[in-house]
Amino acid sequence: MLFLPAIFGGLRSLFRKKRVEKELDDELRGFLDMAAEDKMKQGMSRKEALRSARLERGSLEVSREVVRSSSWESIIETSWQDLRFAARMLRKSPGFASVAILTLALGIGANTAIFSVVQGVLLAPLPYHEPDRLVVVLLNNLRLKSSTYLSYRDFMDWERAAPPFEKMSAYAWRSFDLSSPGNPEHLEGTEISSSFLSTLGVGMALGREFSADEDRNGGAPVAIISNGLWRDRFGGSATAIGNSIVLDGVETTVVGVLHPGFRFGTDYPDVYIPIGQRKLVDANDRIAHDVACVARLKPGVSLSQADAQMNAIQENIDRLNPDTEQGLGIKILPAKEPLVGDVRGTLLLLLGAVGVVLLIACANVANLLLARSAARAREFSIRAALGAGRGRIVRQLITESVLLSVLGGVLGLAAAKWGLSVALATLAADLPRGDNIHLNASVLFFALGISIVVGILFGLAPALRSSKTDLQPSLKEGGRGSTGRHHRTQSALVVVQIALTLVLLAGAGLLFRTIQHLWKADLGFESQHVLTFQVGLSPSAVKTGADVRAAYQQLLDRIRQIPGIQGAEITTEVPMTHQMNAIPFWVDSRRPASVAEAPRTLGFITGPDFLQVMHIPLIRGRFINQQDTASSPLVAVIDTELARTYFPDKDPLGRTITFPQVGDYRIIGVVGHVQHWQVGFSSPFTQNQSYVSIYQIQDRWMTTIDTWTWVVLRTPLETSMVLPEIRKAVHAAGSDQTVYHAQTMPEIVSESMSPQRFPLIVLGSFATLALLLASIGIYAVISYSVTQRVHEIGIRLALGAEKRDVFRMVVGQGLTLAFTGLSIGITAALILTRLLLSFSSLLYGVGASDPATLASVSAVLIGVAIVACYLPARRAMRVDPIVALRYE
Amino acid sequence: MPEKPGDLVQGTLDMLILKTLALQPMHGYGVAVRLEQMSQGVFRPNAGSLFVAFQRLQRAGLIKSEWKATENSRRAKYYALTDQGRKRLTSEKREWGKQVAAIARILEAS
Repeated sequence: MLFLPAIFGGLRSLFRKKRVEKELDDELRGFLDMAAEDKMKQGMSRKEALRSARLERGSLEVSREVVRSSSWESIIETSWQDLRFAARMLRKSPGFASVAILTLALGIGANTAIFSVVQGVLLAPLPYHEPDRLVVVLLNNLRLKSSTYLSYRDFMDWERAAPPFEKMSAYAWRSFDLSSPGNPEHLEGTEISSSFLSTLGVGMALGREFSADEDRNGGAPVAIISNGLWRDRFGGSATAIGNSIVLDGVETTVVGVLHPGFRFGTDYPDVYIPIGQRKLVDANDRIAHDVACVARLKPGVSLSQADAQMNAIQENIDRLNPDTEQGLGIKILPAKEPLVGDVRGTLLLLLGAVGVVLLIACANVANLLLARSAARAREFSIRAALGAGRGRIVRQLITESVLLSVLGGVLGLAAAKWGLSVALATLAADLPRGDNIHLNASVLFFALGISIVVGILFGLAPALRSSKTDLQPSLKEGGRGSTGRHHRTQSALVVVQIALTLVLLAGAGLLFRTIQHLWKADLGFESQHVLTFQVGLSPSAVKTGADVRAAYQQLLDRIRQIPGIQGAEITTEVPMTHQMNAIPFWVDSRRPASVAEAPRTLGFITGPDFLQVMHIPLIRGRFINQQDTASSPLVAVIDTELARTYFPDKDPLGRTITFPQVGDYRIIGVVGHVQHWQVGFSSPFTQNQSYVSIYQIQDRWMTTIDTWTWVVLRTPLETSMVLPEIRKAVHAAGSDQTVYHAQTMPEIVSESMSPQRFPLIVLGSFATLALLLASIGIYAVISYSVTQRVHEIGIRLALGAEKRDVFRMVVGQGLTLAFTGLSIGITAALILTRLLLSFSSLLYGVGASDPATLASVSAVLIGVAIVACYLPARRAMRVDPIVALRYE
Repeated sequence: MPEKPGDLVQGTLDMLILKTLALQPMHGYGVAVRLEQMSQGVFRPNAGSLFVAFQRLQRAGLIKSEWKATENSRRAKYYALTDQGRKRLTSEKREWGKQVAAIARILEAS
């Protein structure tokens, strides 16, 4: 209540300090004079009366202090004094100040960097209009317990059924070969419904969105292009609108240009075309689920309400199309969830780890402050003797530590900015929304907040310790203070540091061992010397299915003639590239009631040489060969996984496997299972694999197959040597053909380990930082203790102790600390790594309490401790007893 | 009895100052003398605590001050109740009465 007068009164006395003080003095003087006058009336002399009034009512000076210090503005005033004093103290000991500030800068910088990653990836809203109302709508396969995209037919059915959304739109990945204007190039693109951009609430930089008329079969060929492509191909000119580009051989009119940086999903498509214009064979396909749906909730409608209504709509669709849709429900997710994916656990883990680094840094600075406060014990005693209260001294010391931490924070911010740019350059690809990571206002706020908290955290213990200094002994002892107590606190801090460092090292060690194991894991194929790439076939040469087969045959013939190529083949699936051609199937013609309820298998559409190129073992029967053609019976090969699951104790050879819309195939062989998803981890996606020959696929599928077909080839030569030859061979078959997505198989395998690699690199650098800080901590404590014990060491040497004994004593002291820290750290690590195991699937091939890892990181820590003790121990050895004893 | 005569129950000094000023505007020493007289010498506030209380009351808007000449023709700062101060005094008196009665009942209970 009534804050304003209090604040104005305070501000008045702050800014008109002289005047207010004089007024108070006048008033107090008047008070005492009047009191004295009363006494004089009773017969006292003036001098006596004044003295008596002062005794009774308090002297002018004391009263003035009492009144002044009772108000809030006096706190500001003394804080300002404290701050100036603190700055002077730091300037006076630049060595201490720079070490402390640097340590804090590392700690705060690392925290700020990780926080800005968490902020950018997890916390920041999506860059669309009212992103909280955006949702992704998926089909939920109740039988297989997995959610999938939908078919375009599903989307059209939903649109007709009045869905509970303000707007709803469809999009599907598609790539294009652009041949004009400019050089031929393969581009990533997206098919979108006309409502897509308005659902997101995103405007155009130029031009317009698709009209409903364009978003249907037979509509005029139109495209919206990215800002980048517009600059690239049209020089950023407004005349691009209405001009045409040639996509897959079709003249297409550009109607719109997007804003720079726009995207929805993880990559940046360059070309958008209306989804309604897709080929009828795709548009009417209810089985292939290749369309994603994003929608905007109506204001006030909750996710679960929308979910319930959509499930009712889908139930009706299921009833009308029982043979394909029965068993499908709806699942609605906030749009951010699929975009962020499963990095949440990893990022929170790293945030915890970096917090530990900060604690270690704090312990270090607290140690430095303790060492310093021992040296300043005399100063505190004098201040206390002159009347400073304990609270006042604590406040002064906290001001000093907060000043240190804020300076550290400023430097840390600079370090974070630099560190982030380095880290993102190498790691951004491993993170969703990696380009959304900036040092923004909330990050700055975080850094400031954390600096102040940290300043109080590491300043409090030393401040309380030093302010308790007993006056008598420290004044008497001539400044050597009560060293034993300080030393115990310092040792405790070092023990804590070592324990925390061990936990970080153990975490990093486990991830390192995981990656080692992953590299040794059996992939089911031989990744060495395999190169993969895609080819954009010339649209003019591949009008029919026969053309496509012929084009690939011709392409492979040319590639196989390149010297050093040991084999080449085409395939629709390359392991570990996250391609998912999961198709429904059933065996022995036992069709389930609804296709949705059929199990799935990964369909590899490939040629006869695939096994030989990939080094996949043939287990039984034979693989597809040259004789399996369009005119011979359909044959398929299955992997051991499918054989084990669906033919547990029967011979699969000669049995029938049916792929709906494709045909009934006779099983002619069994091959080894290939790790198709991430190495070493069970995946929610299907594990069954089957192979059919690309030369037996019906024409209607062949004309769209080239965007998802890869060439795999085996060669011992360097990629940089082979690739130009390959480009030459591809161009010879058609000058507008492009080679893209060229990557070696080991690169692909390595990329699939990014969920482990990213935390390994970050955690590894934190652990190294922690190790460095801890070794500085050990060094500081041992070195300080040697300085304090020079006298004692001198006596020992004088009494005949060997230099070796002194050395051993000092190192032993360090190792005692190290071993204490180790035993606490190992206990903590055993608990914490178990936690790590339970909330994220990061480890492979190594237990959370892997003894080898714990032993080796302990050895590293002990080694570092010995090194850190070495210098002070050597100094102790060189103590000259005469000098040491004369010192007293 | 309190150990030292003149030790006030926490917070009561404010109320007593308000009561003293309710009669007429007064300067600091006047308030001190008046308190002493009214309490028959039990309360003898020193300058420090008195002026801290004045500062507190003024910032809370319960009293206002003005420099004026005294009857002995010196200058002194006179304090006077504001309307708010008057209201506060009434409510504090009521509250105090309740508390004293309650404490008395407790002490007299056997």
